[in-house]
Amino acid sequence: METKLSDNTRIEDHPILDFPARRVVTFTWEGQELRGYEGEPIAAALHAAGIKVLHTSHKSNRPRGFFCAIGNCSSCLVVVDGVPNVRACTEKLREGMRVERQVGTGPAPRARE
Amino acid sequence: MRRTADAVVIGGGVIGAAIAYNLLKLGMKDVVLCEKATFCSGSTGRCGAGVREQWGSKGNCLLAKASIDMFERLADELDYPHDLEFKQKGYLILAHTEKEWTQFQKNVALQNSLGIRSRLCTPEEAREIVPALNTEGMLGATYNARDGHANPFHVTRAYLTAAERMGADINYFTEVTAIQVSGGKVKAAVTNKGTIEAPIVINAAGPWAKPVAEMVGVDLPLFTQRHQILVTEPVGWILDPMVMSFSIGIYCQQTPHGSLIMGIGDPHEPKGYDIGHSWQFLRDMSRIITRLLPVLKDVRVVRQWSGLYTVTPDAHPILGGVPGLDGYLQAVGFSGHGFMLAPAVGRIIAEMALGMEPFLDVSNLDAGRFERGEYNVEPSVV
Repeated sequence: METKLSDNTRIEDHPILDFPARRVVTFTWEGQELRGYEGEPIAAALHAAGIKVLHTSHKSNRPRGFFCAIGNCSSCLVVVDGVPNVRACTEKLREGMRVERQVGTGPAPRARE
Repeated sequence: MRRTADAVVIGGGVIGAAIAYNLLKLGMKDVVLCEKATFCSGSTGRCGAGVREQWGSKGNCLLAKASIDMFERLADELDYPHDLEFKQKGYLILAHTEKEWTQFQKNVALQNSLGIRSRLCTPEEAREIVPALNTEGMLGATYNARDGHANPFHVTRAYLTAAERMGADINYFTEVTAIQVSGGKVKAAVTNKGTIEAPIVINAAGPWAKPVAEMVGVDLPLFTQRHQILVTEPVGWILDPMVMSFSIGIYCQQTPHGSLIMGIGDPHEPKGYDIGHSWQFLRDMSRIITRLLPVLKDVRVVRQWSGLYTVTPDAHPILGGVPGLDGYLQAVGFSGHGFMLAPAVGRIIAEMALGMEPFLDVSNLDAGRFERGEYNVEPSVV
């Protein structure tokens, strides 16, 4: 099991928190294949890959990104596997996720059984 | 604030704003509007924002039809620089009971006779209009493409700014505390910021219409009742029309912004001025709306609130003056549909104030109809 990524944007040594080894998973961002740690926020994996614009605003299509980091502000909304309005900062990364930048309100939700 | 006026309008909701504008448009020079808080702070700013012609009584149909005619050209008429978010994507009103279906056939016949182009739909036709709709247990629906939505804040603001341009004196945080009457004639409105001498005082106080009418000794058969409502996060297109059911007591519409506004009536709601909100509403609303529109299961609620309906015994407004009291007019008791009637009512009340013949005859909507027993209850309300 691969547990180490070579990107250097993550805190590894912290005086209080431990960061146990986690499985590396593959997901896609706008069709591009990326890797991140399983269970970390989607936003963390995207940030590590240098991706800052996660969403564009409703009226003026201005860039929106990682902001409050606690699921409150609606700045980091992305489309995950076709579902709009997923908060990248609180949603955990899973193997095979298809993540896309959300434009405005994004696609309409689809009926689920 | 001015100390004299040709007319004082009480209430800074859409009704008061529309009246003030129309008074000036029809030639009155000196109009003062008194609002005890801020504009839209009563029922207007809390409403469901729907506009429809599909009513069950001639009176409501004609007022609503005339209002939609006016909504269609309102932004131009008021020279308002922002979008009023007026959309005409229809109302789809669902029938789930035989009683409703019978009533709807009568309603559509009445509406068609008045020039309203509503029509009956089969459940299949309803699904063509709203593909997300679950038609299980549905007998049919009525649809009228001219119905729709407008933004209550923008509409009210548009009326107020147009009135101000023509010289209206609009006062917020100005509460009318008394109306002076002498010899059967209105003399002045007394406010917490001073007295305004005026021969005409117009009660457009929404939920506070009853206490205002009491200032001139008029006892109105009104009560207020909380109605709860919620709004979801904005999402991509789900549905065009307002989806509504009277037997379930529910309405739901997607605004031009993408959020969905919805509400449900509670038959056990006590009368009063409570405008809190409840967990029970969220639970009931979610359960019922996701049965009708299952796609909403994955749409998040962002806010809930409530507002007051000011209800008359027949669910029609009370419009006009009171015998023996010169200079007092009222536009009250809209029973949950004041916003959509405001354009026509604003003009009618202004015409009455100026001694003109109203463009629509509303003499059967006077306050005296209840004592005379000359009224019929509007069947089509949530």
